[in-house]
Amino acid sequence: MTELAELPPAPDVAGTRLDGTGTYTISAVQNAALCRSTGVEPSLDGSAHPIYYYVATQVAMGKTVAGLCAACDFDVEEGPMMGSSGVRFAAPLRTGSTYKVTGEILSLVRKRSRKLGVMDVLTYRLRLHELDGAVALETDNVWVLPRKELA
Amino acid sequence: MSYAVGDALPSFVIERVSPDAMKQWAVFLADPNPIHLDVEVVKAKGLGDKVINQGPINVAYMINMLMAAFPGGRIESMDSRFLDNVYEGDKVTASGRITAIDGDKISCDLTLDAEGRGTVNAGTATIQLQS
Repeated sequence: MTELAELPPAPDVAGTRLDGTGTYTISAVQNAALCRSTGVEPSLDGSAHPIYYYVATQVAMGKTVAGLCAACDFDVEEGPMMGSSGVRFAAPLRTGSTYKVTGEILSLVRKRSRKLGVMDVLTYRLRLHELDGAVALETDNVWVLPRKELA
Repeated sequence: MSYAVGDALPSFVIERVSPDAMKQWAVFLADPNPIHLDVEVVKAKGLGDKVINQGPINVAYMINMLMAAFPGGRIESMDSRFLDNVYEGDKVTASGRITAIDGDKISCDLTLDAEGRGTVNAGTATIQLQS
């Protein structure tokens, strides 16, 4: 088994910007469908399901999922896996509201796991902003990128 | 409504995880990863013989449990760790327990369990109660 120290380093991508170039509006129609797909009815007061913290930031960040993987020199077809997801809300999300996203890759760390072999652990941070710039939420996500070619 | 440290929160149950919901979420997330859509791809990758639920849906189940447990409350923060996959047809149960109360803020531990397979997601959350 190759020692971790003998492996090539993970790509140096910390600091890569993930700012979105457009905006994201939480559609009341889509919010209703999303709520029902998870077994609940949509709120009647115009608040959006809080899981839009993940949906909106992923869709409106500056890279697609495949593009984010590619930035880490990883083919999305190899199967990225979610490791963890955290969010800190400053304000509730509302249907009909429009947001923009800023963010960056925090780290990409090469590790060896007994279960997965060699893997890169990607941590990135995204912020969802109101159009006046106020931060509605900040989310940190961790993905595991299995490096089968290095196992 | 009164709360106390150690209180168990009412569970939220999905009797059968739907592959149709996964198709919807592929659109919501703008992410057409075939492991959520095509069982043949799942088999070819050696990941099982059923399509795999998108991770954020599993988080949404835990959020649904919190929103029902704290009517009018607002999630201030939440963290969750993905421990195992949830598959088409799984029965999953989101549960929680109050770990701390600080004024009108309540902290909880959360789990999502798949019947017969144990905990597939675990985390914590802090809720701001309705004032």
